[in-house]
Amino acid sequence: MIERFSFLAPNFQSQEPRELALLSIISQSFFQPFSIEDNLLVILTALTSGSGVGFNRAMLFRTDGDKLRGEAWLGPRSAEEAKTIWEVLSTPGIGYIEIIEHNRWLLTRQSESLSQIVKPLVYSLSQDNLTIPATSAARKEMLLVQNARQEPLIDPKFLAAIGVEEFLCVPLYARDEIMGLIILDNAYTKRPIESKDIKLASLCGLMAGNYMYATLLHNKMIEMERLAALGEMAVFITHQLRNPLTTIGGFTDQLLTNRIGEAKKRRNLEIIRKEIRRLEDVVTKLALFLKVDVRKTVPFDLKSTLLGVVQNPDLTMKNGGIEVYLDIEERLPNVLGDPTYVGEAFRNLIANAMEATAPGGRVTVQGGREDQNWVVICIQDTGKGMPPSVRDKLFSPFFSTKDKGMGLGLLFVKRVMDASGGRIEVESEVGRGSLFRLFFRSGQERSAEA
Amino acid sequence: MKRILIVEDEDALCLLYKEELTQEGYAVTTAGNAEEALSALKREPFDLIVTDIRMPGRDGVELITEIMGLRKDIPIIINTAYQSYKQDFMTWAADAYVVKSSSLVELKSKIKEILDR
Repeated sequence: MIERFSFLAPNFQSQEPRELALLSIISQSFFQPFSIEDNLLVILTALTSGSGVGFNRAMLFRTDGDKLRGEAWLGPRSAEEAKTIWEVLSTPGIGYIEIIEHNRWLLTRQSESLSQIVKPLVYSLSQDNLTIPATSAARKEMLLVQNARQEPLIDPKFLAAIGVEEFLCVPLYARDEIMGLIILDNAYTKRPIESKDIKLASLCGLMAGNYMYATLLHNKMIEMERLAALGEMAVFITHQLRNPLTTIGGFTDQLLTNRIGEAKKRRNLEIIRKEIRRLEDVVTKLALFLKVDVRKTVPFDLKSTLLGVVQNPDLTMKNGGIEVYLDIEERLPNVLGDPTYVGEAFRNLIANAMEATAPGGRVTVQGGREDQNWVVICIQDTGKGMPPSVRDKLFSPFFSTKDKGMGLGLLFVKRVMDASGGRIEVESEVGRGSLFRLFFRSGQERSAEA
Repeated sequence: MKRILIVEDEDALCLLYKEELTQEGYAVTTAGNAEEALSALKREPFDLIVTDIRMPGRDGVELITEIMGLRKDIPIIINTAYQSYKQDFMTWAADAYVVKSSSLVELKSKIKEILDR
């Protein structure tokens, strides 16, 4: 027998150890598309709420180059406030969403919030005579400080800010990278920090450090990809623009000499006009490609979008003896996406399919439900097909098998599908043809007319 | 009369180069791709080859490699829209690298310089 469980909703019961519930809330929040700030606050809350470890307050420092900067301080401002907050956060079944909402509310309150006290605290991690709390981050050591006022190694400004005798410093790091520091105390309950608190706090610190490190790497990667794509694009655009410009320049120079006859003048002007149209085409395609940024998807009817594409005179004009069969299941549910962009994506794919197919061949567009949640549109041709080397590069920017291709068409299709929350799959065989399958998420059911 | 082989996949540019270089007093043959260029090279002698890099089918890099094996004595000018490849090519392949521009002055002067050597 095989049983399936969702690891994103373990649903811990109240009789289970609260440490498990705490770790569950933290790891679930990392899976959500919340900002790193929101997720770090979830950790702080988990460390301070009654259902978590139960520290009274949690202070967060983050590294910024070689600096350690105070960023947030979470917890009630007084013992009275503590009572209400802990009651709310100790409600059984509370999850990261409630915690994030609560935190956002806490931080956007008036300027006397705790975080305003911690923000002016900045330490250099590279200097020799480090003080606490920076020492803990720099040496990657957890420090439990007691009788703080008698301890000369503590920065006096920090001591004035925190105002307690006992606190715990938890460094946040991953590999060799110092990511930050969390400081925990029990300012209101005065409960001494015990060894089990330290163990759990260290686990939370490890998770937070690794999460911050992963986020850092992820952001770096996105930045590098963006730069690489920009470089590629610059090279590509240069090529697309320079060829027509060379032609236009050369034939214009000829026009400007005196030794040119009427017939040649006209020929040159026609060439120049053609090249200008080409430049215009590059600009139009590029603009369309750069514009795709669909965030809002709406339910729409795929069949009417497809009919609009297939019956468009622009497409049918190019139809050199190739038939396009449209076969869409009756009562197909609406799907989610931007109908204009999806229509343009279909136009791209069907035009490609027609180009790949020899006269007498056929292009078939089929549509139907894949299952309850997905609708699939298949665009199949009986054309020349693609070898795996071409198929693998199909969605790379500026990759084209056509002489004058921009290599943006299929990338555009993919971006539209990604933005619709759908996906695209390709099968192809040389000599047999290609099959593109587009998966759309089902939207709401069709309205009364269906 | 010096003989030049132009390898360029854009028809309009082939026409322009042929007219302009013929005007300068050269005998010009054009080829639209690497295959055409190689068969022209086997058919007749040339004093200079001017070639693009990015072309459909076999591209200019493969062409240059093949020509180097076939006719080592013919000087080559690379004429391309890509500025960024210059360093790569000057070290091993070409006698000159001219980036395509709306003026043919640089290309013409490089051709003259090499053929007058």
